[in-house]
Amino acid sequence: MKSLLTGFALAAALIAGPAKAQDVADLNDLEFAHAAYTADVIDIRYAHLALAISSNPDIHEFANTMIRDHTAVNEAAFALLEKLGADAQDNWFSQALNEGAEKVIDDFSQLRGNAFDKAYAANELAYHQTVNDLVENAMIPNIDNDEVRALFEQGLEIFKAHEMHAEMMVKALEE
Amino acid sequence: MTHRVLRRDVLAGMAAIFALPVPPSRASSSTVHEVTITSFRFEPETITVHAGDVIRWINKDLAPHTATAEDFGWDTEEIPTDQAVEIKVKPGMDTDYFCAFHPHMKGHIMLE
Repeated sequence: MKSLLTGFALAAALIAGPAKAQDVADLNDLEFAHAAYTADVIDIRYAHLALAISSNPDIHEFANTMIRDHTAVNEAAFALLEKLGADAQDNWFSQALNEGAEKVIDDFSQLRGNAFDKAYAANELAYHQTVNDLVENAMIPNIDNDEVRALFEQGLEIFKAHEMHAEMMVKALEE
Repeated sequence: MTHRVLRRDVLAGMAAIFALPVPPSRASSSTVHEVTITSFRFEPETITVHAGDVIRWINKDLAPHTATAEDFGWDTEEIPTDQAVEIKVKPGMDTDYFCAFHPHMKGHIMLE
């Protein structure tokens, strides 16, 4: 049974469309997998944008960590899906994530210097907060397969570390 | 922030002088202290060692990690999932370290 989540707000700038936690909770395991993979790829795209535009070494270090860690999670997800003989299923939420990302990338592409660094750091913090809330409260409680749930729990641990790192980066850029 | 990273770059080569990662087979006669990296923590967070001992970091997380001296004088470099890297303890080496990829992860070496 899908858990009922109330009072959950999605950041409109990060995820296009009127997505609600309850709607996300109603996805199946293979749709959860697709959404998580999509969220990983989006953050890797943000990281590549940061490497291309920013000249701040700390932004580069963070971006490289995002590429390294999200790639590791996706490789583990592919390995698990292969073991299970299943394919991730595209869905409305993955599409909303991609739509939101296109807007962020378009907007951030216009920024340079400190303005870009601050926007990138703030977006990383907000993005991880939003996605982590969804993974923890809408996805993990509703995953049927034990191995898929275990992988999501491992992923959440990583993404929470990223959230903490992003928070440090935001504060450092304010100094 | 910039200063820290640039300093890391400059000092990266000092790992070759003070504390090289060593292959496990060459360290077999030394006392080996194991530190497990799990759930974004170094376990144990503090270890007590002597010069000539070996510290072995084993990464049990899905994410890659490092053990890197705060002064960047020594560095395991990337430790992939389920792999280990060893460093031989040298007198005078920096005893505070962190993960260069996830800087909130901290560890400490008590050098006696």
